[in-house]
Amino acid sequence: MAELTLSGITKSFGATTVIHAVDLHVADGEFVVFVGPSGCGKSTLLRIIAGLEEVTTGSIAIDGADVTGRPASERGLAMVFQSYALYPHMSVYKNMAFALENMGLKAPEIDARVRRAAAMLRLTDYLERKPKALSGGQRQRVAIGRAIVRDPKIFLFDEPLSNLDAELRVATRKELAGLHAELGGTMIYVTHDQVEAMTLADRIVVLQSGRIEQIGTPLELYNSPDNLFVAGFIGSPRMNLLPARAAGQGAVALGEAGQEVELGRETALPAGTSVTLGIRPEHIALAGEGEAGLAMTVELVERLGGESYLYGSAPGLPQITVRLDGQTSHGRGDRVALRFAPAHLHLFDAAGKALRPDRA
Amino acid sequence: MTPPLSLRRSAARWLGLFVAALMRLVDWPMRWLQRLLGERRMAYVFLLPNLVFFSLFVFLPLIINVVFSVTGGTALFPSERPYVGGGQYAYLFDCDSFLDPGSCREDHFWRGVANTLRFTTFQVVAMVLFSLVTAVVLNMRIRGRGFFRAVYFFPVLLSPVVVALIWKWILQRDGLLNAGLTALGGQKILFFIDPGWAMFWAVFVSIWAHMGFYTLILLAGLQAIPADLYEAAEMDATPRWRAFWRITLPLLWPNLIVVIVLALIRGVQTFDEVFVLTGGGPGTATLMVVQYIYETAFSNQVQNFGLAAAASVVLGIVLFGLTLAQLAASRRRSA
Repeated sequence: MAELTLSGITKSFGATTVIHAVDLHVADGEFVVFVGPSGCGKSTLLRIIAGLEEVTTGSIAIDGADVTGRPASERGLAMVFQSYALYPHMSVYKNMAFALENMGLKAPEIDARVRRAAAMLRLTDYLERKPKALSGGQRQRVAIGRAIVRDPKIFLFDEPLSNLDAELRVATRKELAGLHAELGGTMIYVTHDQVEAMTLADRIVVLQSGRIEQIGTPLELYNSPDNLFVAGFIGSPRMNLLPARAAGQGAVALGEAGQEVELGRETALPAGTSVTLGIRPEHIALAGEGEAGLAMTVELVERLGGESYLYGSAPGLPQITVRLDGQTSHGRGDRVALRFAPAHLHLFDAAGKALRPDRA
Repeated sequence: MTPPLSLRRSAARWLGLFVAALMRLVDWPMRWLQRLLGERRMAYVFLLPNLVFFSLFVFLPLIINVVFSVTGGTALFPSERPYVGGGQYAYLFDCDSFLDPGSCREDHFWRGVANTLRFTTFQVVAMVLFSLVTAVVLNMRIRGRGFFRAVYFFPVLLSPVVVALIWKWILQRDGLLNAGLTALGGQKILFFIDPGWAMFWAVFVSIWAHMGFYTLILLAGLQAIPADLYEAAEMDATPRWRAFWRITLPLLWPNLIVVIVLALIRGVQTFDEVFVLTGGGPGTATLMVVQYIYETAFSNQVQNFGLAAAASVVLGIVLFGLTLAQLAASRRRSA
């Protein structure tokens, strides 16, 4: 296993730059997830690491050795493709053995490695089958097996679960997490699904338009997003982002009614400064009888049994989502008052940058 | 000059009316037929026109050909031709050794068979190889790829006779090639007098004329192979030749089978190009089976329809057998 260092990686296609000066260090044995919306450059960055795309500027080092100019075949990495990219005319066994044959290993060694990986991935009974005779999940496991047998320095995964149905995706996600724990390898994983990112990653790299927006552990990103993009992207349902104005030293005013919300901390913002207030749906509670709060009209209720979601509107504000524990009797058209937990409030300046207590 | 808009509109209106009237006219008998036959059998009614033409111009001549092959004489109408049973076939196959055309009573036929075999073998092998290499190169990201694709396909659009004439002008005694050779201080080569050269150029011209078509089939096959398979192979540290051998060729196999079968059938049927280019000469060095059949039936002083028909039946059976064998191989491979 190995560590990876990207220094000032830039990638341009003609006049269009798709990756902007990316710096990143991935530690040995770490599971790093690149996450971001479609077209943010995450797959391109992975392909650059793999050696399938050349960099325009910058360098890539694996275990301290510069591999920037080396072809994919000489980097010692393994990649699991979104489409699986299994050789359709070869059996599962041959698919997994192919790279080992290229390495010039002896037949008994190849056989041992393939069977060990097959046992690990519950593929032993399917070794003689062709990929077309396998289900989507089994194909995915073959693709992973093909990577495992090579004992690569780093595993690269390019949206490997996106072709699976929801149930299988959850199951395979757990298997991948188990596999990382078992193999202890360095893994870089690309996805646009932030749930996958949150559940699998040691660290998440959030990308937008070819730039890194934030790097951190899943909970760091969840609890302390650096900017509006990360705040909105990480978490499901997404964080409520409400336009507000600074009102006094420790409060902001929301909506047309100018409902004041206590921040629970002092800010140095001049009154009237435009800001965005962020609060996650689970950090909003319904105010009790006679308690003051932001008035919201319920437009939709989702009842999931163990939890309920209220979607509603307040004058001059975008739709607000509220997560309630258990079941609720509220319905469409009800008027409720919302209380925001001050400890979980996030404040962003007009440029979308987080205003942390030490900076605000 | 484009007709005025009003005229075009008027023509379109009349055409529309005509089609509508035609549809009305066809409507009631079709409805009546559907009531009579039921919906399922109506499919055969729609197939009927094509079946009639196919029967008239393919099945019927096929049957007449078989009938002719068991009759003798020079009369044209089957009713006037005496029945000779397998006499024509016995005459064709009357050989001391099939490997030596000279030992056969109808030595021209067997020389034609030997030449066709030689021609087809060289042509198919070379055609497949050249088409494959060309398709692989044209599938790469090279400058002017579209231009080269068009250039390679262009000869396919030419008539075989035109192709043969072009090359005849190049290769004949005072042709372009010999002019070039003499200009460079060399000697003229009599390409159509030397049996080896004549066969070589017959094969070459045939490949030149048809390679574009087979290249197109293989190019389509290459483009259907997902690019990520090659990326996976690259990640698997697969050398290029091995990726070609272990990934490209197996996945291209269905297209290769089509190319081999078509080239084989076309090779065995070869007539017009070689006939115009060499006339079957020198002597019988490039005489093909189909040319033998043509000359036996229509060109010789005594028009021996029966013998030509028997040779046609033999050729038909060989082609049928070849096609079945190739299709079986293709099915086994793709299973």
